[in-house]
Amino acid sequence: MLLRRSSRLIKPHIGLYSTVVEPKLNVDEFRTIEDNPVNHSKQHIGKYYKIDDGLKRKLFSQGGLPKKYEKQIKTFNEACLMVRPQAIEIMEYINRTDFSKPVVRYLLYGERGAGKTMTMAHLAHYGHENGFCLVHVPYAPDWYKRPKEFGPSATHEGMVDLPLDAASWLIHFKSQNNDLLTKSEVGISKTYDWSKREQTTAGSKLIELVDHGINRAKYASDVIAALMDEIKIASTAGKIKTMVLIDGYNSFFNEQTRVFSDTRKKHPVTPDKVTLTQPFINITNFDWCNGVCVLSVDIFGMLGWERESYLPRYLLGKEGFEHLDPFVPIKMDKYDERQFDSCISYYVNRKWIQNTAQGFDKELKFLSNSNPYKLMELCNSV
Amino acid sequence: MLRNILQFTKFSRASPTILANNYSQYEPHFINPVFKKDEQEALIKSGEISKIAFVPIKAPRNNDNSSVFHDHRVSKMVNYIMQGGKKELARKLMSETFERIKRIQIERYHKAQTEEEKENIVLNPVTILHMAIENVRPILMVTPVRRGGVKYQVPVPISEQSSYYRACKWLVEASREHDRKTHLPEKMAFELLDAANNSGRVVKRKHDLHRLCEANRAYAHYRWS
Amino acid sequence: MLKKINLNSLIPLAQRTCFRNYSQEPAAVETVHDDDFRVLNLRKTKGTQQQLSRRPKPPDVPPPRYKQMAVDQDWGAVWPGPKTFHPASVPLPVRQGWVPLNKTVPGKFANAELMKIPNFLHLTPPVIAKQCEALKQFCTPFPKGLETEEQQEKHFPVQFISSDYVHGLPTIRNPLSRIVTIKLKLSQLKLDEHARDKFLRLIGERYNEETDEITIVTDRCPLKQQNFDYAMYLLTALYHESRTVEEWESSKQEGDMEYYNWHNNQSKVTSTEVLNWGLPGDSKVEPPQEYISCVENLMNEGENEYNINKYKESVVKMLGLA
Repeated sequence: MLLRRSSRLIKPHIGLYSTVVEPKLNVDEFRTIEDNPVNHSKQHIGKYYKIDDGLKRKLFSQGGLPKKYEKQIKTFNEACLMVRPQAIEIMEYINRTDFSKPVVRYLLYGERGAGKTMTMAHLAHYGHENGFCLVHVPYAPDWYKRPKEFGPSATHEGMVDLPLDAASWLIHFKSQNNDLLTKSEVGISKTYDWSKREQTTAGSKLIELVDHGINRAKYASDVIAALMDEIKIASTAGKIKTMVLIDGYNSFFNEQTRVFSDTRKKHPVTPDKVTLTQPFINITNFDWCNGVCVLSVDIFGMLGWERESYLPRYLLGKEGFEHLDPFVPIKMDKYDERQFDSCISYYVNRKWIQNTAQGFDKELKFLSNSNPYKLMELCNSV
Repeated sequence: MLRNILQFTKFSRASPTILANNYSQYEPHFINPVFKKDEQEALIKSGEISKIAFVPIKAPRNNDNSSVFHDHRVSKMVNYIMQGGKKELARKLMSETFERIKRIQIERYHKAQTEEEKENIVLNPVTILHMAIENVRPILMVTPVRRGGVKYQVPVPISEQSSYYRACKWLVEASREHDRKTHLPEKMAFELLDAANNSGRVVKRKHDLHRLCEANRAYAHYRWS
Repeated sequence: MLKKINLNSLIPLAQRTCFRNYSQEPAAVETVHDDDFRVLNLRKTKGTQQQLSRRPKPPDVPPPRYKQMAVDQDWGAVWPGPKTFHPASVPLPVRQGWVPLNKTVPGKFANAELMKIPNFLHLTPPVIAKQCEALKQFCTPFPKGLETEEQQEKHFPVQFISSDYVHGLPTIRNPLSRIVTIKLKLSQLKLDEHARDKFLRLIGERYNEETDEITIVTDRCPLKQQNFDYAMYLLTALYHESRTVEEWESSKQEGDMEYYNWHNNQSKVTSTEVLNWGLPGDSKVEPPQEYISCVENLMNEGENEYNINKYKESVVKMLGLA
């Protein structure tokens, strides 16, 4: 029997191995007790706030937080997000927005690991607290790079369907918006005929539409298309507020995908031949109101030979840029001095940084160039 | 018994170890570089720096650096893990091992009920590595000696350096010895934690060796007769 | 004294006997003073009179002329025309010539270096002033209205540049003197947008963007005049060619465009629609000029942080988020 399973390590009493005394940190320095993102403002920038565990499960159980951060959450025993200035900037814009005007598209861009996905998660939380209906795509390139299953579409000639991905996204949508969908009285504008026997009649609730997609994965893609139309109609009519969050938006305009039009995997199709693409391009169009779109472009959503720049025009391509224009590009920067210190303090507080010898933060800053992801990677072993 | 054998340590040290230097690119009067800042400061403070001010110094190797996170044992361990000169991979494996150790220990830390329990948990992976190596270090080993056409396994005390080498080697070997599905960092993290806890396969291996030495103590005199 | 002794001792015995034979001639001993040692003068040399022969008389050279020159003299009269350097006439301590290190440079007297080079001692400023004064009666007044550079540029926009050479060949034509350069400000041509674009494409690298100047260099004809004519021909041809509009130009698509023009692009459609979305009636809101130029810069100059930031600012302003 290996003792590690039953007993803990006992600290040796030899001076050589005594752990370094951790510096006393004032808890208030890097944390904020303001857990509701609706109340976040500039004074909270660089501070960590805690997401309630149940809420985290509700919002991000199907994705939305990077896998490595999920691991950290488990280790740190709490789900904390840093309030980044870019998130505050978008929140301020949203507060100022006239919702009778067409939706404003915000586009997050930045280097790898700058915190685009985390900011999206923060905004998803904000939208949820603010009563927005969330249309949240955790990572769009997954559909095109690692599709779970693909087959020819039954309803659209020459198109490829991703039934499982579509159904799992509907589950994600439902789990995020369950309260809102069950409470609201939003009805469907027209009758959708799925097959001879199945149909969703006009006036039935949105959740019925979603449930149909979840139960009949074959129609999930078509359900998503119908759902997007209905969300737009309902939002424009002022029945609901909608927040669209799509991570890796540029993958909708890629040159190629790893989705194939045949089972022998010989002919890869372009994204516009995938039935999932059109609904999400549709909902990011400007022709509806009472909503907000926050999108992000990710260099890793591109194919290998297309990763030259992280700037939006390059990643979106001509077509994507013309579709989004005019949009508000927002750059995710690396940590500034304050955010870096806060991050280091948080890691030390969570016992994640064990070696706090003189100048350790300086060295980490130099090695990571204040890039959040690189900093996290570097701290893994110290 | 062990003490009796240990008395002869001096004899083992008597064997000349000049050979190792013979192929060095440096003359024997070159001294090793002092590349850590605190060590340099200590030298300056004690005034010893003036003694070596004009002594030629070897160039530091490229894994010798003044980083806060540099540790001699860790960099040695990386060398033992390394295969085929793939040092970058070895470093990555080492850091992954530390990450796993940290995750396991921090999880344990959060599970602990009382403050006292929490304080007793070692979280620093480098400390755990040091503890593991200290626990695994053998004091004796056996060497084959031919007497009257028969090979006897003669117990001999080993030098400090050699004991550290053996400890690291055993830890790495134990980490490699598992099925190919488990990755080295995962296994190594468990082995290190076990060894630091003075239990596990590697500690058992040390005890086995010591037991063999104990059993063969009758042959001890073959070392010098 | 010693010499005389030696001489005596060297005379052989036989000759001494001869002395005795001729010793009755008294003239040989006559000139010798009583107190001096007598020297036998056999060859009858003339002695001191011979040594004091007449040296050639140095020529009667007057002192250099510059030593007698007055400080306030009329230099034009001293040096009226081009002339080889003459040291005595020039009251200047001139030195010329190459010497090794730490040696003095030779002075002006007998200095070939100074004589070889052409001098301009006849063209001193007072002399020139005097000559100009004399020439004035033949001059016409400077044309009125051409006093400033701008005026000159306006009335004579084309600048003509060529070089003349003096050289030592039997022919008087230096091949380099045929090259003609004409320069012209492009703004002087008064081209419209299309013509200007075409003109620039036609002349290519001959246009300097910083000074807005076009430069045409012609050297293919053997004579300067021919080259000048050719350059003027080129300018004329370029001008007229750039003003012609081909038929196919009207059928140019967006993909054929050389640069991004916001007005022919999707951006105009969408941004206008976004601004007019839900607005009643015909009142059309046009996107602001700042936004237009930002999009054009982003497309034409290429993407960078600066352009993206500018674009963001303009969009935020346009959508009323600021």
